[in-house]
Amino acid sequence: MADAEEAGATASNEPMFLISLALNEIVFVRLRGDRELKGRLHAYDSHCNLVLGDVEETVYVVDDEEQGDEVKTVKKQSEMLFLRGDSVVLISPQQ
Amino acid sequence: MSAPAPAPNGAADARDPSGFLSEIIGAPVTVKLNSGVVYKGELQSVDGYMNIALEQTKELVDGKLRRNYGDAFVRGNNVMYISADS
Amino acid sequence: MATQLLPLELIDRCVGSPIWVIMKGDKEFSGTLLGFDDFVNMVLENVTEYDYSGAQTKLPKILLNGNNVCMLIPGGMPEGNES
Repeated sequence: MADAEEAGATASNEPMFLISLALNEIVFVRLRGDRELKGRLHAYDSHCNLVLGDVEETVYVVDDEEQGDEVKTVKKQSEMLFLRGDSVVLISPQQ
Repeated sequence: MSAPAPAPNGAADARDPSGFLSEIIGAPVTVKLNSGVVYKGELQSVDGYMNIALEQTKELVDGKLRRNYGDAFVRGNNVMYISADS
Repeated sequence: MATQLLPLELIDRCVGSPIWVIMKGDKEFSGTLLGFDDFVNMVLENVTEYDYSGAQTKLPKILLNGNNVCMLIPGGMPEGNES
């Protein structure tokens, strides 16, 4: 089944179909460990390995020195990246 | 890895995992992840890995709304349960 | 000699009855077992979810992922068991 999906043959009644629709579109990706990515989806496979372009990564960091658990965000830009699927929690096409 | 297959006792009716899933396609559901994060939305589809596609999704952290999504794909390995909203 | 009862046959005998599910980590569920599959994914009805603090959540009907299931106890959770 995984191999069939890798070939891009995803039936419309399967969740992966949502990702196939998002090819070459901007997607939001939530990752394990309070990280988010936003970028253009160039490629994906059934493991949710992704290739994203023009990516902005946002990391939420709790600053221990500040009183009251202040949450900081750190942003990183990258032109192109490969993301291993096992860290993916959620993928959402951006309207 | 955890494909909802028919139970050893036979018939796949609405009581078995696969039957339950086909019963709740299109209905509002709550999906809870192992991390405790909750997604509420309309269930579009589920596959054998428990990957889930949701529509009009709300993301709740500690019961508070963090984000809204039009369409959302949730990777199955993170899923603890899928609950049919009453 | 008694015939051996396979673990999943024991669970099969619990279909339609109350069951108590203890997950890896500190989470538990109790409810009526409607069905399950070879991965021990389970459909449960009239479920109570117990988290580490003892807080309870009622759920009408769920599909519980078998991945993080540790232990299944037929008969459900004893009354007043959870503090």
